[in-house]
Amino acid sequence: MQHAAGLEELGREIAAASAFLDRAEEQIASRIIGQKEVIRRVFIALLAGGHILLEGVPGLAKTLIVRTFAAAMDLRFQRIQFTPDMLPADLVGTMVYNPKDMEFHPRQGPVFANVILADEINRSPAKVQSALLEAMQEKQVTIGSSTFPLPQPFMVLATQNPIEHEGTYLLPEAQVDRFMMKVMVDYPSYDEELEIMQHAAASGDMPEVRAVVRAGDIAAARRLIDRIYVDPRVQRYIVDLVFATRKPAGYGLASLESMIEYGASPRASIFLLLAAKAHAFLQHRAYITPEDVKSVAYETLRHRIIPGYEAEAENVRTDDFIREILQHVQVP
Amino acid sequence: MKESTEHPGVAGSALLLLLLSVFACSPVLLGAPPRPDSLQASVTVVPDSVYAGERVTMTIRVRRGSDMLTDVELPDSAALSPFMLAGRRHFSSRVSPALGEERTVLDLAVFGSGKQRMPAFRLVYRDQEGHVTGTQLYRPDAAVFVKTLTSPDVKRLRPLKPPLQPVFPFLLVMPFVFAAFGLAGAVLLVLFLVKRKVRFFAETVDPAQVAGRKLRRLGSRLSGGMPPAECHAELSAVMREYLERHYRIRALEAVTQEIERDLRKLGVSSFDAIMTLLRQADLVKFADSRPSAEESRNSIRQAEEIVRSGRNQGAL
Repeated sequence: MQHAAGLEELGREIAAASAFLDRAEEQIASRIIGQKEVIRRVFIALLAGGHILLEGVPGLAKTLIVRTFAAAMDLRFQRIQFTPDMLPADLVGTMVYNPKDMEFHPRQGPVFANVILADEINRSPAKVQSALLEAMQEKQVTIGSSTFPLPQPFMVLATQNPIEHEGTYLLPEAQVDRFMMKVMVDYPSYDEELEIMQHAAASGDMPEVRAVVRAGDIAAARRLIDRIYVDPRVQRYIVDLVFATRKPAGYGLASLESMIEYGASPRASIFLLLAAKAHAFLQHRAYITPEDVKSVAYETLRHRIIPGYEAEAENVRTDDFIREILQHVQVP
Repeated sequence: MKESTEHPGVAGSALLLLLLSVFACSPVLLGAPPRPDSLQASVTVVPDSVYAGERVTMTIRVRRGSDMLTDVELPDSAALSPFMLAGRRHFSSRVSPALGEERTVLDLAVFGSGKQRMPAFRLVYRDQEGHVTGTQLYRPDAAVFVKTLTSPDVKRLRPLKPPLQPVFPFLLVMPFVFAAFGLAGAVLLVLFLVKRKVRFFAETVDPAQVAGRKLRRLGSRLSGGMPPAECHAELSAVMREYLERHYRIRALEAVTQEIERDLRKLGVSSFDAIMTLLRQADLVKFADSRPSAEESRNSIRQAEEIVRSGRNQGAL
């Protein structure tokens, strides 16, 4: 069979360029037990230039995952604990008066880092949330009259605690839509928990994590991802999936029609494609298949589908909608 | 006896003359206006029982000759009490060429209490030129019973009752509704039976037979000049449909990796051949690979072999 010449060459380049991810994965695994899917999602978001909303109960090593990931990828990490009394200036920076030259100088805030862990983002008021989300969107910050570009790569991992809502400011749907993925951090398995316990009891020190990524590796990977081939059949499959969230009856899912209040936005199609390309890159492939799309569908769509009253009354979750859609939309 | 037989013609002529003279003097036959006292007037009142302040309709009908006119004259408002004139309409009609009818409809508000006799009125007769030829006072026997819940001295006019909406004849429509429901029920029953029958036949058709027929057709289309890439894509669809129906797995909506997982669980004998075929098709569909016509023909042959072996193995 004659393969597309460009794709064969690209496949070889991708296999060589994605080797650093395997190394980084090894380094992270030396410190983090389990949570492999979460780590893969973080890689996907980094490669696709997206941001992640992490949701899970406390104590699931969310902060440790992000810190370790940044260390292995040789990225500047900054953790920001969001609190109700926080101001936008605490995040992006402010103008500071210098008595020597009697002038105001901009002082950059903690947002100027490669990997930001916005811990409990729903604890801060809307103005702080929107300041961060604007930085995520624009990839630049304005302090006083000066605009500063954020360092590249720039990725925000915001955490939300799903069980505690008192004294929190729920992220509006428009803001949530800006996150490429919403990743649910689940409890470890029985064996993983056993291993975590044994490691924690053995010594107080964590294993050292080495930076295994050279400068420019991520940028080079992103350039290769841009070249990954997407067949029109797969493009149509992505649009079909997104449309099925808006008009389920058209895809033989009439039962979901009354359950879904609002379907996914066009951002969902864009992010689904970008995430699928990054997933194909992780698989060392120069083209994407419906498998890549399905692999990232839950994380990309779950926060973009607004369930209706009927769904809430029957305790149907958005993941159930996505499962139904994936099972009913015909694969090319 | 004799005498009477002698003069029968004289007696008959005298009787005929007498009759002619009587008819000749009759005003009707001669076309003369009827006498006022020969006119007929009638009065009807509806309803016959009202609350104080409500309205009754009094209709005065007067039959008269076609060459004269009549008019109804009511007394002044003081004399009209306990009635009050609220409205008046007049209609004329011709009953026969010689007879006309005048109809005067009066809307009267009624006050007081107890039985109230309808007010007297005067009929005025006029000739064709409008000159009054006579009058006649008419006291109708009709009466209305006035009920009062408060003081009988009330003089306030009650508002008009809103007109009653016609009642929809449900009983007349019901047979049609029942017939429509019956018809719809019958249609649904027929559809249900047809669907069940179709499903039954669809289930009894051997998926391997269907797939074999489709593969043969695909082979002939390939020989007829079908592009090999298109042939591979269609081959993949045929195989997925076959796998779904033969092994009862979800294959049409599943990606190759999901099919691989399901077939591995089932321990399908031709697992490797199926997966090779599906992966090749994936390369054509998603990685822009271009097979030759010979490769496509080989793939069809492999697919036919898979279907044959699956048939020998039997459905799960």
